[in-house]
Amino acid sequence: MKKTDFQYYIGGAFQLGIGFGVVSLLSRWVTGNTILSSPETLIKYGLTGGIGYSLMGALALILFGILAKKIRDRFHDQQTIGDVLRERLTPRGYWFMITILLVISIHSIFVQAMGAGILLHMIFPLPVFSGMVFFLLFCFFIGGAGGMQRIHQLAGINVVLIFSAVIIIPVYFYIQEGVYPVYEGIKLYHPYILYVKNTEAVLFIFTAILIGFGQVIIDRATWQRVFIIKTEKLRITFTLAGLIWATIPLALSSLIMIIIFGRSYDSIYSLLFELIGKINSTLLIVLFVLFCFSALSSAICAELHAIVTLIIKNIVGMLRPLSNKEKWRFTYLLSGAICLTLLIIVSMLPPSPIELLFFFGNIYASMIVPMLYIILGSKTLPSLIPLASIIGTAGGFAALPIMENLLAIWISFCLSGLICLGHFIYNLLRTKLTVKV
Amino acid sequence: MLPIESFSIYIMFCVLVPLAGAFTLLFLFVFEKRIDLLEKQKREIALERELQTALYNQLNQEIQPHFFFNTLNSILALARLDRKTELLRSIETLSKLLKFKYRTINNFISIEEELTYVNYYLEIQKIRFRDRLHYEIHLDSHVNKAIIIPFLIQTLVENAFKHAFERHIGEALLKIKILKIESAIQVTVWNNSLESHESSPRDGGVGLENIKKRLELLFPDDETSVQLTDQEDGTAVLAIFPHIMSEKLEGESTQ
Repeated sequence: MKKTDFQYYIGGAFQLGIGFGVVSLLSRWVTGNTILSSPETLIKYGLTGGIGYSLMGALALILFGILAKKIRDRFHDQQTIGDVLRERLTPRGYWFMITILLVISIHSIFVQAMGAGILLHMIFPLPVFSGMVFFLLFCFFIGGAGGMQRIHQLAGINVVLIFSAVIIIPVYFYIQEGVYPVYEGIKLYHPYILYVKNTEAVLFIFTAILIGFGQVIIDRATWQRVFIIKTEKLRITFTLAGLIWATIPLALSSLIMIIIFGRSYDSIYSLLFELIGKINSTLLIVLFVLFCFSALSSAICAELHAIVTLIIKNIVGMLRPLSNKEKWRFTYLLSGAICLTLLIIVSMLPPSPIELLFFFGNIYASMIVPMLYIILGSKTLPSLIPLASIIGTAGGFAALPIMENLLAIWISFCLSGLICLGHFIYNLLRTKLTVKV
Repeated sequence: MLPIESFSIYIMFCVLVPLAGAFTLLFLFVFEKRIDLLEKQKREIALERELQTALYNQLNQEIQPHFFFNTLNSILALARLDRKTELLRSIETLSKLLKFKYRTINNFISIEEELTYVNYYLEIQKIRFRDRLHYEIHLDSHVNKAIIIPFLIQTLVENAFKHAFERHIGEALLKIKILKIESAIQVTVWNNSLESHESSPRDGGVGLENIKKRLELLFPDDETSVQLTDQEDGTAVLAIFPHIMSEKLEGESTQ
């Protein structure tokens, strides 16, 4: 495959083994959400919540690994989630689904960019704008214009930096200070963290698994990786990626305890970045900054690459045929436009984070059953299936005033699931009756 | 409330678990290629062993006195009748058939090559069976270059002759169908005899078992199957294996 070929931009010119596959998935999934949501779960649900958050990511990736093998076997000529949707849905259903994916993609990349904005605001005494210019330029060259090949060239470095930070910093701190003062401090300031018989945490864990799986099953970047990992290694790659990913939120929760053991806090989301004030060693500060930068940039690069591919291959490419040259021109233009928009929004909005984990939980949960139906079904599916996810989401949001957030997410999941189940049974009965007649 | 001991264990766990994750990743990078290589070698050895068995079965089935003498007698008859063109063609075909049989050492060949071999065999059988034998080969245009294990179709065709046509007089109809359905290739060899499976002796069973084993070894991660089925108008054997182009597998093996 030539480097100038657009296919090279989408999937690179390689098939990934387990090692590179795991690295690629880790660099995609250790994101701003991981950094910012780990503290949130620890503070809200205590140690059980911390473990639950890790469990969520691990299970989501492991479960998707089982599906990934089926996806690859059934749609082996495709390259993206959009290609599969086009094969399995009617034109109207396809556009429904693509619209939802586009909204989720834009939200997702926006959240990452906000995370980067907060990081830059906390670390450097510069205006957010100037820091973001450099950061987004980097993302533009790697994820936007560079394509899959360039993303993978940096994925290894990203993962090395991430692991170095989450291993060295806690070891350094706990050897220096010991566990006892941290325990005493937490007992004094935040005793609820040590409370383990937390029934609410159980509901949280199960809901988080639902959201996590929903996030993975419609993640454009993960789907692209499904098609470039060697078929026979797909399941083991996703399983190992899940297990290794789970170690990072755990390490981050131990880091959070270093920060909060001696005091109370103002904002949950910016907690982790306050670690810089806690670490005395310059080397470790640099390592921590690089860790945050790696996690955020690799996630934004993967997202940017996935959105651009989605728009060019599955939106513009469907409306009118594009030449190779045009596709490349659109790639640069789109990546540039997305980076510029992110820069403007992040610079204009105050660097205060939005609620991350549950913000789009309803959408993610309501997408699970329709996506399963799309992947595992055998015929072209009507628009009702994508519509089921929208109805599920709407139902979940409508239930919010009368019930708590976690339960509303389950409502979304059940509602879309029931619609799909109804369609399945109706189809089954209709086929049987037709055969009898 | 969590006691200090449990808290210490939790912190120890949090600190050690990423270390274990990093080591796993490191281990994968260092040893993955080696493990792959070992697995590949193991599979290749098993494949070669099964290929040897297949070759042995082939020789056993085909170069048996009656096949060889019947063929020679048919050739002799052509010489006596002075049908020189047919005589030359049949000697040439017999020579090509034997050459192919002795030179096949790869674990996979293209369907095109396998069919060339099957055609040599059928040409010789045509000399023997004359107007009694009618055969059809239906090949999907996309599967020419796809891979197949050597002697798969040949074994099924030979079984049809051995267990059906050579035992019963009357018309001998043979149909070979090779289709690509979704991502799999379906090879069907049908003959018009209704009794072949009942009288199917040990050799045929061994042949089918050998095909099953070799398909499983060559495509360890995909679904494969070999089934003998009774039909109203005859007997069919259906073999299913994944569609892989030969250039792709060769490319992978040279990497």
